[in-house]
Amino acid sequence: MEKIIEAKNLTKIYGKKSNKFTALKDIDLSIYKGESVAIVGKSGSGKSTLMHLLALLDKPTKGTVYIDGNDASKLKNRDLNKLRNERFGFVFQQFFMNSNDTVLENVLLPLKIAKKGRKERNRLAKDALKVVDLEAKEENKAINLSGGQKQRVCIARAVVNDPQIIFADEPTGNLDSATGDKITDLLFDLNKNKGVTLIIVTHDEDLAKLCGRIIRVSDGQIISDQTVRKDSHQKASERLEKEAARVKKANREK
Amino acid sequence: MKLFDTIKTANHNLFKSKTRTFLTILAVFIGSFTIIMSNAVNAGVNDFIDKQVASIGGDGFIEVMPATAYNQVADMMQGGAKVKEYDEKSGGSILGANISNADFEKLKSVDGVKNLEVFHMLSTEWMRLQGAEKKYNVNVEYFPISGFNVDLSAGRMPDDNSPAREIIINEDWLEPLGLKNADDAIGQTVEIAIKQTAKCYIQPENCLAIVSGTIVGVQAPGVLTMDGDLHVNKAYDNELYELSMEGIPEASREIYFVIGDVEPDKIEEIRKAYRELGYEFITIDDTVGMIRTFFDAILIVFNIFGGIALLAAAIGIINTLFMSVQERTREIGLMKAMGMGKGSIFFSFSTEAILLGFWGSVFGIIISMVIGTIANNVAHNTFLADFPTFQLVIFNPLNMTVITAIIMLIAFIAGTAPARRAAKKDPIDALRYE
Repeated sequence: MEKIIEAKNLTKIYGKKSNKFTALKDIDLSIYKGESVAIVGKSGSGKSTLMHLLALLDKPTKGTVYIDGNDASKLKNRDLNKLRNERFGFVFQQFFMNSNDTVLENVLLPLKIAKKGRKERNRLAKDALKVVDLEAKEENKAINLSGGQKQRVCIARAVVNDPQIIFADEPTGNLDSATGDKITDLLFDLNKNKGVTLIIVTHDEDLAKLCGRIIRVSDGQIISDQTVRKDSHQKASERLEKEAARVKKANREK
Repeated sequence: MKLFDTIKTANHNLFKSKTRTFLTILAVFIGSFTIIMSNAVNAGVNDFIDKQVASIGGDGFIEVMPATAYNQVADMMQGGAKVKEYDEKSGGSILGANISNADFEKLKSVDGVKNLEVFHMLSTEWMRLQGAEKKYNVNVEYFPISGFNVDLSAGRMPDDNSPAREIIINEDWLEPLGLKNADDAIGQTVEIAIKQTAKCYIQPENCLAIVSGTIVGVQAPGVLTMDGDLHVNKAYDNELYELSMEGIPEASREIYFVIGDVEPDKIEEIRKAYRELGYEFITIDDTVGMIRTFFDAILIVFNIFGGIALLAAAIGIINTLFMSVQERTREIGLMKAMGMGKGSIFFSFSTEAILLGFWGSVFGIIISMVIGTIANNVAHNTFLADFPTFQLVIFNPLNMTVITAIIMLIAFIAGTAPARRAAKKDPIDALRYE
């Protein structure tokens, strides 16, 4: 399989001298095209730092990140921005939406940054909203959406530029389990149907178990890296349906 | 982002916090309004002066005086004459500085001088219609009027070559003199009384000479009538002067001012030649120049006020944008994560600053034009009713464009600090910011 991201000797140290804090220690990691990877760990374990480094949002103190085999530290700022804009998609726990803008405006932001024309922008953004089943809400203000709808808009925003990798930082963290499952389904559909590489940072074991590979991080180090399966996951909604059927059955039997 | 997208987005972002943006724009508006309005008034005044100067004519008219007198007057106008060592030649006071007959001849012979005459300061007492009871204070003067355009409502200009004594009055005199209208005035005889200086030392109670003359024209209201002096012809002027000087020998009659008519395009050469002789002169343009300087000084004062207001507004812009950067820290982080470069972020916040300046000055222009139009209308119906061509305020598109550009530049400079802060934000810190 093709390596899409490779990290070598990744170390991140925050602060100086007496305040020094080592967030990551000598991490070696390869992520392959089309994988769904969960980075699991407690808060403060370094999982978010690891994602930030892999997503090129932050620079490592030591070590190198390779994207498609190219050393990212050698990229010019302009190329780095272009790479993030065109090939990465981001989904955050806190959504980060411009709440007074319309749903459509929020979704097309990456395309605006990419200097795409208005017509193309609108077309692609509408397509992305179709993916998350929110095309009816395109003119609504983001502030008027529910949490689940907000996260769906964020997914639309993450996929609008047709990225190769989606970084999701606790994507279901602010949602109840039913809406969380919908979001999870959407993400895994993208992984399964479009071959998008999925990197999910979470402390939620249930979410992690849906991924094909689970990387556990503790105290800045990888403590385990298991590839559960190479194929896709079981749909959360199917799981939910089975669970509901089971409860129903149990109730009936009583 | 594309330029148009940046401008549109910046404008959209500005009006998200309406009150704050409005107040900042208001501050810019105060400065721009002051500057635009005072420039418009100045343009109006200058235009008025230009038009009047053009209508007066008298391009070749000069008023000559000794350089010492001229300099003393100039010193006085600049806040008091300085203490100077006594010089026998230039004399002790302005009145001591007079023009000798020899110099007068020299001045006359300078190339380009068409005509030069001694200006008589006539100490007239009063004027009345012949046979009438009531007397009125009057000042009369003579100067070669041929170069001037005088608007007459009746009659003709006084003839300087005529031996008959002639005078033109202005419309203000019709009623006091008991005349029905301008046409009625033509051909009427007036009497002017003048003090006979020498006689007054001996017989103070009976030293007035009365000289009669004929009204040949009535002047329409205009700038030349504003000083209230009535214009007489050479014959009338001479008669009045001779009578006032009766008993004073020719040799001791001092010449203080000389007036003349010169070729307008040779004025600067003549000025140079006169300076070498120790004389200065004032043209109509010079006189108007002083008025212009006065209004320009007022303009500068108002522009300084406007500038101070803009300075305060610039601080307002800095403040507004710093708040905006603070509030939108996460948005900035998100945009950076999504690949927006430092330059673009700097540019988008700078654009907001420039737009604040732009809107402030656009509102300044709009409100100035509304108020200016109203002021022009009010002025035309009241105190400027006699001057239909005079615009109290004139808006010059070039001026307004330049002012707007300068304000936008100031706003841009004000915006650089907040824009730089936004551009420098680290996406990770920005996204973590609560």
